[in-house]
Amino acid sequence: MTHLKDGESGVIISTNTLPSHHFGSHRHHRWGFQKRLEDMGLTPGTKVTVVKSAPFHGPIELQVRGSRLAIGRGMADRILVSVER
Amino acid sequence: MTKNRIIIALAGNANVGKSVIFNHLTGMHQHIGNWPGKTVERAEGTLHFKGHTIDVVDLPGIYSLSTFSIEEVISREYIAIENPNLVINVVDASVLERNLFFTLQLVELETPMIVALNQMDIAKEKGIKIDHKKLEKILGVPVIPTVAPTQVGIYKLLQTSVDIIEKGNATPLKIQYGEEVEEKIRELSRLVERLKLPYPARWVAIKLLEGDEQIEDKIRQLDPKILSASKKLAKEIERIHGHSCSTVMTSERYEIAGCIAREVQQIVPPVKLPKREKLHALTTHKVLGYPIMAAVILSVFFSIFSFGDYTSGFLSDLFYGFEPIFQDIGIIGELLWGGVAEGLIAGITIALPYLLPFYLVLYFLEDSGYLSRIAFLMDNLMHKIGLHGKAFIPMMLGFGCNVPACLGCRIMETDRERLIAIFVVTLVPCAATTVIILGLVGAFVGVQWALLLYVVDLLIIFALGRIAFKALPGEPTGLIMEMHDYKVPHGATVVKQTWFRLEEFIKMAFPLIIAGSFVIKLAEVLGLLEPIADVLSPVTVGWLGLPAITGITLIFGVLRKELTLIMLATLLGTSNFAAVQGFGPVQMIVFTLVAMLYIPCISTIGALVKELGWKKAYLITVFEIAFAIIVGGIAYRLLLLANIW
Repeated sequence: MTHLKDGESGVIISTNTLPSHHFGSHRHHRWGFQKRLEDMGLTPGTKVTVVKSAPFHGPIELQVRGSRLAIGRGMADRILVSVER
Repeated sequence: MTKNRIIIALAGNANVGKSVIFNHLTGMHQHIGNWPGKTVERAEGTLHFKGHTIDVVDLPGIYSLSTFSIEEVISREYIAIENPNLVINVVDASVLERNLFFTLQLVELETPMIVALNQMDIAKEKGIKIDHKKLEKILGVPVIPTVAPTQVGIYKLLQTSVDIIEKGNATPLKIQYGEEVEEKIRELSRLVERLKLPYPARWVAIKLLEGDEQIEDKIRQLDPKILSASKKLAKEIERIHGHSCSTVMTSERYEIAGCIAREVQQIVPPVKLPKREKLHALTTHKVLGYPIMAAVILSVFFSIFSFGDYTSGFLSDLFYGFEPIFQDIGIIGELLWGGVAEGLIAGITIALPYLLPFYLVLYFLEDSGYLSRIAFLMDNLMHKIGLHGKAFIPMMLGFGCNVPACLGCRIMETDRERLIAIFVVTLVPCAATTVIILGLVGAFVGVQWALLLYVVDLLIIFALGRIAFKALPGEPTGLIMEMHDYKVPHGATVVKQTWFRLEEFIKMAFPLIIAGSFVIKLAEVLGLLEPIADVLSPVTVGWLGLPAITGITLIFGVLRKELTLIMLATLLGTSNFAAVQGFGPVQMIVFTLVAMLYIPCISTIGALVKELGWKKAYLITVFEIAFAIIVGGIAYRLLLLANIW
């Protein structure tokens, strides 16, 4: 998702794209973060629009399900989206 | 529970106007404490309505009933186990889909409930029209449109609540997942039913399929066979969908929420961009956002410090007028005045003038929505020390006073982040530290040196934060935060929050300050201070190169940091420090550096104990004393080498 430009939209394919060693072996954390993203409405198949990203690799502002989310770059990196251009 | 006593819980997402509704319902009859054994706030209040005594419990604002945060666990345990007579689900009408996702989870918990469709005014401004009757029909529970700040719908909300409690709920919506999921839920529910758990069987089955750790642990103890059955069923769903079972169920639940939202709302976006949208774009702007933030923060600090300085001076002059009364009654009077009264005065002259406006402004900014924009802008910087944007808010608080800053770290989601944030916050120079920096170094060495000390402190914060972040086990979490629409803060709610924070501070810090000053005064009266200074002299004189007398003042600084400076003036018999032999610019800088870093004051230690427990509070305190002494000694030698003065 971090490759989307400001104003571009995409559909979420998955929210757990990094290899598992990236998160350590602790199951709770992996489960927790993915669950957190999904609980906030970022589930597979959801359309998201990047409104803007903060400078210096800051967080991204998203429009999703009629609400406005701020999401850290590290989290956004984990979200795989397909882009309709 | 007596027949007429009713318990109503308020539940909903963060920032949907829950606390405003809570305030309207309960007025002045409120009590804010903590959930047993937790550092999560519990607000309770009582009201009387048509012969009923109603206790209202304001649950924390959350987005889901899973177990990601303590708040979520507390809320769901409360609803499932304590069984309130009714849950009022406060829903933000302007962000209906997201809010309904939570509503659906309450429905799944099978609790009696009604929906308060709040912020109808903001929804209207955004061009959202909601057919609340239709929503009521679909959900099967009453839906009352409300505009909390103007009290629209509040009476009806209460009336309906009482009706529902008396007559019982209608038949709420039964949430249907896809057939392949439903099949598994049914199979598991049958197994779970026999266990006689306090939760509904269907809900437990759903949570098991979702892989909810807490429920899994409970089931493991009761019947491990059910757990392996649920794992097998979850795997099957995973095979069918290609996503984890938890993902499938959350998606489906959101799908249902989305369907309902589309069914009941009509959106005609306004032609003109609403003002709050423009304000949002401006305050989070890539370039302009930062100068605006800097201007807001600086003006807040400037006005608080000038107000605080003036009021603090005025109050202490007032109180010190009483001193002669105590001087006439000998040693007991001295103990009473120096020990008890001065501690009390210290508390009052700090708490009221600085903390009161600080809290007011903070809650004003929070309620308006600006704090989440600051978190957005500062996220990147905070990541460097393993925290995220939200941690900037307690850090800002720390410049006023470390105590509320420690308590403010509760907004961090995980224990690990709470610990790092609290540790970092105790190193932030508070208002009292600023008094020393400006009053000693700023006044007698030079403003540029005072500024340099701030820079050094910030660098230390950054370095230590980074070390703590690397050293502590666990993974950093990222920022996920809803940025709500800007709104005009509700005055009475802001004032009440301020008052409760202040009360919390007074209850915790005052006894400590008073007891502390009593002990030190007693030591002084018994003539113990000089021997203590002698014992400390290898450190103060030998290592830090300071006059032996500073040992005593640093002890006083434990009570309140600016006492180090006041005591120094008292003991030296002059406040013109430049004239004192053996206390030149080097000593002033070293002294200030040590005072700045050496210990969280006694009230902050109290806050640390409250938030982290004795052990961690002790470790942080000991670490910071040792660290300050080491840094002070190094600074002393470097300054001698530099040979500037």
